[in-house]
Amino acid sequence: MPKATQYKTNSVIYFQGDVGDKIFILKAGKILSKSNDIETKEEINELVAPGEFFGVKSALGRYPRDESAIVLADSEVLVFSVPEFEQLVLSNTRIIMKMLKVFSNQLRRMHGKVQNLIGKGTSKDAEEGLFSIGEYYFTNRQYKAAVHALTRYLTLYPAGRYTVEASDLARKAGAGVAKVDSTALFAAAGAEEPDFSPPTLAPPPPPQSGPADPLAAKGFFEAVALANQEKYLEAYKIFQKIVATNADPEHSAKSEFEMGRCLVFLGKYDEATKHLTALIQKYPRHPDLKDALYFIGRSYQGKNDFTWARNFYTKILNLAAEDEPVAVKTRKALKELEGAKA
Amino acid sequence: MSLDLSVFNRFAITKRAGEIIFCEFEPGDAFYLIQSGKLKIVKIVGDLEKTLDILNPGEFFGEMALLEEAPRSATIIALTDVKLLEFNRANFEVLMAGQPQIVLNLLKLFAKRIYDQKRRFMVLTLDDIQARVADVFLMLDENGPKPVDLSDNSRTFPNSVEDIAHWAGLSVAKASEVLKQFVNQRRVEIQQGKIIVKNIMDFNRFVKSKRQE
Repeated sequence: MPKATQYKTNSVIYFQGDVGDKIFILKAGKILSKSNDIETKEEINELVAPGEFFGVKSALGRYPRDESAIVLADSEVLVFSVPEFEQLVLSNTRIIMKMLKVFSNQLRRMHGKVQNLIGKGTSKDAEEGLFSIGEYYFTNRQYKAAVHALTRYLTLYPAGRYTVEASDLARKAGAGVAKVDSTALFAAAGAEEPDFSPPTLAPPPPPQSGPADPLAAKGFFEAVALANQEKYLEAYKIFQKIVATNADPEHSAKSEFEMGRCLVFLGKYDEATKHLTALIQKYPRHPDLKDALYFIGRSYQGKNDFTWARNFYTKILNLAAEDEPVAVKTRKALKELEGAKA
Repeated sequence: MSLDLSVFNRFAITKRAGEIIFCEFEPGDAFYLIQSGKLKIVKIVGDLEKTLDILNPGEFFGEMALLEEAPRSATIIALTDVKLLEFNRANFEVLMAGQPQIVLNLLKLFAKRIYDQKRRFMVLTLDDIQARVADVFLMLDENGPKPVDLSDNSRTFPNSVEDIAHWAGLSVAKASEVLKQFVNQRRVEIQQGKIIVKNIMDFNRFVKSKRQE
């Protein structure tokens, strides 16, 4: 049981630097918390508010007290041992939340101060930092890590300072990953599976030229019809052929997008993500760009990776007008996410 | 941690060995509790990937993102296949209501991290670089295992010169220069994979006198 203790004016409950395992609440009276700013050494004097805890952080971690607690007027204080304190807050979780907020702010401030001291002259902003991580892993042939960092870069900064370099590196890194494990991708699926290897290995399409190929157009719409009947594997194969033949740049690009969509519906989420990411890098102005982002989001959602799914969905809402169909779909998907998580 | 976390299965995600959970500089709004597997915290310093820590089941990471959406301060990579519980601000309340003990542990972790950062700050504010290097050893000693024989003032640290440079906020060249001076004064010995401080109390007095200046 916590003990109610009386302290006389001018007594000291603890000194800065003491190590103690007690936690206190001021019930009545006047107590001064006296400490020094870690940077300027300036004295900081703060009154403890009635009902406020003090000495929590140092007692929980058995660290030296940050401040001295000086009694300015006769006071009544409740004294807790750490187990008593824990018992109290476990049955009153609002206290934990409040303290967590205070601690988190202190931590963030301290972290910033340390970074200021060591980062002098070499501080990178987040955009440059993220790109340089992708670059580092690429240079060191850790392609999976490189793809992760660069894909994140391209998602966060689609028109950033390093977008061109990042998409170039991401493509090369993607090819590196594919080289390492494309053969293993569908090993379990048997020989009947079509080749799902990422298009990063395919030669880039020739520059826009020539009239649309009516045959490609016909094949494309046939495949779309198949996809609409949920015959995704058949549709995928036709889209793949259109891309491979590459007779008509417009339908090739569209087919590449449709391939990604089929992969999502086939539940091949990893391949879909890879495919669509490569698509976005290859065609930064693809007419279905936002839909491609949407299906990447769907893939992450399919993998229960809700954070990334949310990241992509949020991105789309930033890019799309409110009444665009893709925005409507995205808002619905986000709602689904909330339902799944909350 | 022997808590029943099965009610949180809907927050579970799995990653394969080698996969990145998040990258330094990425914005973050989720924190993670490790259910199974091992991960490493790394930072790329210059052109080296430095492992700052290894994380084990029951531990948290990404907790800084809990109350603020700021860029991640390090990269987390799975060393084995891992199962994680992912919480963000929105569903943190669910965790709080179901397992306040976990949140209390988080509070203690925050207390420790604040203290660690303060201690680090104290090292970095020493202008005298010899004192700074000496203080790094004092800091590592405070965090390390307590000596069996209290009268024994020599300490062995499983650290490299690069580690010391990192904590002291010095270039590796500068740090090894200082260490060489200590070696010449016979206060320190450098061996394969470890550094021996002959008398930690001597470093303690030295740092104290420099801090008062």
